[in-house]
Amino acid sequence: MKSLLRRTNIALAAAAVVSCLAATAAQAETPSWCGPNKASLALLDGFGGNSWRLVTTASGAAEAAKCPNIVDYQYADGQGNTQKAISDINSFAARGIDALVVFGDAGPAVLPALTNAHRAGRVVVPYRVTVGGEEGKNYSKYVGTDSREDGVAWGSWIKETFPDGANILFLSGPAGNSQGMTELEGMQSVLDDKYKFVNPHPFAVTNWDPALTQQVLTAEIAKNDKIDVIVSDFGPSLVGALPVFAKFNRSIPAIATSDGNSLGCFWHDNHEANPDFKLYTRATGNDNVRLAVQWAVALATGGTPPTADTFQAPDFENSVTGKPNQVQCRPDLPGSIYLSAEMSGDEQAKVVNK
Amino acid sequence: MSVPQRKSGSTGPRTAAPSVGGGLRGLFPAHAARGFVTIALSTLALLVVCVIFAPSSVSGGALAGSLPFAAVLAIVGLGQMLVVQQGGFDLSVAGGVSLAVVISTHVPAGDNAQLLPAILMAVALTLAAGVLNGILVAVLRLNAIIATIGTNALLYGAVFAISGGVPKITTPLLAQIAGGETFGIANAVFFALTALVVVAFVMKKTVAGRRFEAVGANPLAARAIGLGMRYQIMAYVFAQMLYCLAGVLLAGITREPTAFQGDSLLLPSVAVVVLGGTSLLGGRGFPISTVIAAFFLSQLSQFALAVGVPYSAQTIIQALALGFGIGVYSIQWTRRNSKRASVEEKNEVLAS
Repeated sequence: MKSLLRRTNIALAAAAVVSCLAATAAQAETPSWCGPNKASLALLDGFGGNSWRLVTTASGAAEAAKCPNIVDYQYADGQGNTQKAISDINSFAARGIDALVVFGDAGPAVLPALTNAHRAGRVVVPYRVTVGGEEGKNYSKYVGTDSREDGVAWGSWIKETFPDGANILFLSGPAGNSQGMTELEGMQSVLDDKYKFVNPHPFAVTNWDPALTQQVLTAEIAKNDKIDVIVSDFGPSLVGALPVFAKFNRSIPAIATSDGNSLGCFWHDNHEANPDFKLYTRATGNDNVRLAVQWAVALATGGTPPTADTFQAPDFENSVTGKPNQVQCRPDLPGSIYLSAEMSGDEQAKVVNK
Repeated sequence: MSVPQRKSGSTGPRTAAPSVGGGLRGLFPAHAARGFVTIALSTLALLVVCVIFAPSSVSGGALAGSLPFAAVLAIVGLGQMLVVQQGGFDLSVAGGVSLAVVISTHVPAGDNAQLLPAILMAVALTLAAGVLNGILVAVLRLNAIIATIGTNALLYGAVFAISGGVPKITTPLLAQIAGGETFGIANAVFFALTALVVVAFVMKKTVAGRRFEAVGANPLAARAIGLGMRYQIMAYVFAQMLYCLAGVLLAGITREPTAFQGDSLLLPSVAVVVLGGTSLLGGRGFPISTVIAAFFLSQLSQFALAVGVPYSAQTIIQALALGFGIGVYSIQWTRRNSKRASVEEKNEVLAS
């Protein structure tokens, strides 16, 4: 009996030590942007209906979970409906949620709602899409992404890969979208006259729709005997269209774009048969939301805000140099995940297969 | 029994008294020939313009790339035509096509063995949607636009339930069947031609088909002689079947189709029906002309892309083509001719 008691005591002491250590470890892991005050946080999406958004949303939730002082986490999907997006913002502000991280797909249309929430004393952090207005007046902090930097990086890679000049086909989303315009500006800042854009100015319109991309690409291939490199700001939407080159008995050209598992796997399956198929990708930017969440949490809980206020998508794959990565493919996982994201591929697969 | 008037003050064929007489004058009677000749000549003219100004748009590779999409549009157009013939509009095109797309990609999820059950499931669901549309419009007498918008929302509910709005890579077998080629021609084209032959044969050469047109031309008279409701319901059901076929093909042609792939087909589906010469007031349908119009519209956008005009101009060119179509068929260029034409048309339909 005595020995049993002693053993229990030892076990208790050991447990106490372990829990003490664990607590210290947890404290050490609490990031500096997570302050001492308790707060609630909501992630408001303008449109949540694609795999990129699902991964992004899950990344936002994972980032918020790193801060134990976020006691309530909410999410709302505007479903591509501006009215719903606005009413989501209003309703979360009215419900007393302390911090709102907003993907303002509708652009300046959501600014009045953001301004009201900001005036009501909420921390408001729009990210990735410019909503107009001013920091401190209409919202707390805007966490943008550097599309120009993407353009500069693609341009530099094209210059390295084709030092003697090249014919470039640039595809972007809906007509006049600001992301495409800024990327073009970035590319033009590094490319001189030797590099010719064969698409109608400023870019070939694809609406980021795979079927339309396929049709547009068909027309451009037929029209241009020589396309050295395709630049696209949504790599995975190219995958369906690239087999069109085979119909013209031409090799798939070099591609500078954003990453996606389906694109990486497509490269692995097809680069041998297509000698000109070189691939360079930038991270597609799911982690933009993490920086926005860090800012919102820091402002709401009294933590130290991050030093960066713009998300810089890092280089991801380069089939020519293999740096920072050779082209990645996880054939066992869905094509619609993004291996450049901080969240692991397996976790993303769970999110998109839900 | 009093029959409620669906369109007050409708003019043209509908108000003409049904008369029996005239006769079927060959395969292409006066009005059909006008529609057919117009769209066929326009298409030829477009091809000539393409050869001169944008030869790349008629090269083998370009056609191989664009014909499958033209085929999908043709099939959707045939479906819309059936509904338009009954004086309706089917706005559930988008939902019907998108549902077939997501079922045939998400349910098999890359497993060829699951493809057939998935397609059967798509057919069953679209059949149900077609019956629902038919009942709402023909039995409950709802306005076709309102009823089909509602059905479209239901279909999109199913689209989200199945896909969560996320695209999935298509199964290899479907890509091979729908996206492949036989004798150097895209398989989708053969599917479209088969759909055309079936629709044209049933409509023009069977009793049910002839009645179908008669009901569309004059629903009041048709009701008076005990025809009607059934044919209207059939229009919506067969339209959904065709949308389903188009969706399954689209899922195979596009490697990773989105969950909203049907959206961009809604307006073109109406456009090809109008360009094909079918009156928006209902009545006779022109399947061959509709299919040619689908090729015309698809080639027109290929031409605009090949010439390299800005996106705004591409949209304007398509709008002008549609305006041209409506102008040719709908405006009563001279009162006398149009009156005669409408009486002739009536006679042809009822006599056959």
